Amino acid sequence: MPSTWWTRKRHYVLYMLREFTAVPMAAWLLWFLVEIKRAGDGPARYNPHESTAFVIFSVVCFAFATYHSYTFLNLAGVIMRVKLMGRTVPPRVVVLTMFSLWAVASIVIAAVLIGFAR
Amino acid sequence: MSAMSTMSTETKTPHKPALAHLFWWFLFANGGGLTALVLPVHILVQGILGPLKIVPVVDRHYDTWVQVLGNPLVKLYLLVLISLAFFHFAHRLRYFVVDLGFHQAKGTPAQVIFYGGAVVVTLVTVWILLTTVPISLG
Repeated sequence: MPSTWWTRKRHYVLYMLREFTAVPMAAWLLWFLVEIKRAGDGPARYNPHESTAFVIFSVVCFAFATYHSYTFLNLAGVIMRVKLMGRTVPPRVVVLTMFSLWAVASIVIAAVLIGFAR
Repeated sequence: MSAMSTMSTETKTPHKPALAHLFWWFLFANGGGLTALVLPVHILVQGILGPLKIVPVVDRHYDTWVQVLGNPLVKLYLLVLISLAFFHFAHRLRYFVVDLGFHQAKGTPAQVIFYGGAVVVTLVTVWILLTTVPISLG
């Protein structure tokens, strides 16, 4: 099979795009590691990143990360078979629960990141 | 006796649990789940809203960043997040490379490179978290 098989159908392109989301997400987390490491530079030398290039990089990574989250949480109803008191929870309820969990986690993390700032 | 032992070998073989597969799959699945739930908000707040000065963010200021990074729970959270994410990425990227037609990525050397990479990132993360800011309970 030619290595370009995935360009034939939109469905295949979206699948490969989803697989590729790991690259920008890994790149952003590596930046995050650098940001943690830079805290050891001392107060005089510490300058947070704020260049336009960094913001554009983050916007691209955010788009890929959100696409990964959306597709993952949407699939949760198919992947996860949840049983509650002997009855299988309907996939729609599982998906709704996962999206609610995403919203709660996002709010809590945003609150910590913003709340502990000055 | 010999027939019984043959039978027992035959019946046991197909049920041998793929423990290595289970181990990588566990890390892959949980890494995927955790990054799906928490990574977008980190990127949005720390990578976009903070640098654009729309909201104050903890890592924009040395004092607050060091204070938060000293918290042991934050260190544990960051270790779990970064480590699991990279095990997820390693598994995903290995199959991405296979899908692109490079079937060598299924082999053991490729597994050592991809999962070994995740192990290296984990060790570097542990080193950074332990050496950058001392643990502080205050």
